[in-house]
Amino acid sequence: MTVPEFMQWLSTSPVANAMNGPEWAFPMVESLHFIGFAFLIGTIAIVDFRMLGLAMRRQPVAQIASDLAPWTRIGLAMMLITGPMMFSADAVTYSVNPSFRLKMIFLAIAILYNFTLHRMAVRSEKPGAVGMLAAVVSLLLWTSVLGAGRMIAFV
Amino acid sequence: MSLLSFCEWLQETDVGTAIREGALLYPIIGGIHLLAIALFGGMVLASDIRMLGWGMRHESVTDLISGLRVWKWIGGVVVVVTGLLLAWCEPIKMYHSKSFWIKMTLLVLVGLHALIFRRSVYRNTEALDQAPSMPMIARIAAGLSLLLWAGLVFSGRLIAFDS
Repeated sequence: MTVPEFMQWLSTSPVANAMNGPEWAFPMVESLHFIGFAFLIGTIAIVDFRMLGLAMRRQPVAQIASDLAPWTRIGLAMMLITGPMMFSADAVTYSVNPSFRLKMIFLAIAILYNFTLHRMAVRSEKPGAVGMLAAVVSLLLWTSVLGAGRMIAFV
Repeated sequence: MSLLSFCEWLQETDVGTAIREGALLYPIIGGIHLLAIALFGGMVLASDIRMLGWGMRHESVTDLISGLRVWKWIGGVVVVVTGLLLAWCEPIKMYHSKSFWIKMTLLVLVGLHALIFRRSVYRNTEALDQAPSMPMIARIAAGLSLLLWAGLVFSGRLIAFDS
């Protein structure tokens, strides 16, 4: 099965039919996608703000991060469920949308970064200047994911 | 002047036209609106989770509420200002959109929520931290906050789908 054939199949799959069925289906799933990214990006941002010394300075970074981690994962899970659901609704169009492709690249980098370099900075004894750099990169990456996502509807 | 004719006038103002017809202005403002929801909405969620006893147990309510207060305020202002700009470019559509009015009602409730729970919860966090278990009033405040928050996201998203 080639990629275009797969996209064609996907856009007629049961999930796609459900998404394209009742008119409230898509906005409902999209709202869950928004709530998901508030969990995902919001909890990461709290850690980043902390590493930048901008919030909750009385708590150690690692403590805040480990308490927020389950909620970050819940957010990520919501995104990874609702995102493909929306994608399937119009798979052929999305798969060639330049903003969508850009978003997927940013997303891959952001997820990889979050669970490797960012995690190392968060868990280090004194994140300091390295932590600040890690926080800025993190905020920029997630902003890029969100920005590219927003542009999907406009290109 | 009726509300509808005000909307018609508003739609034709320079600002309204610029946002509506500028190719990038609308998605950029929309993007900032979403970004602020993500960054600062997440902070509201973290405080609610703590008061509901679902997590964040190592952080005191005081540290979460006052440590993030400035950012929640900044985020709230950014969301409201960008939201107003988005509505400004299509006020006639907003006038006819049921979801828009639901969202505005929820926003009023958010304001009331902040006022009602200000003394007992949000300006009383040290007492909450000393209580043996989280007082019911704080749980109610957090639960309502979560519901309002989710309601705002849903009704906001539905505006684009109202015809």
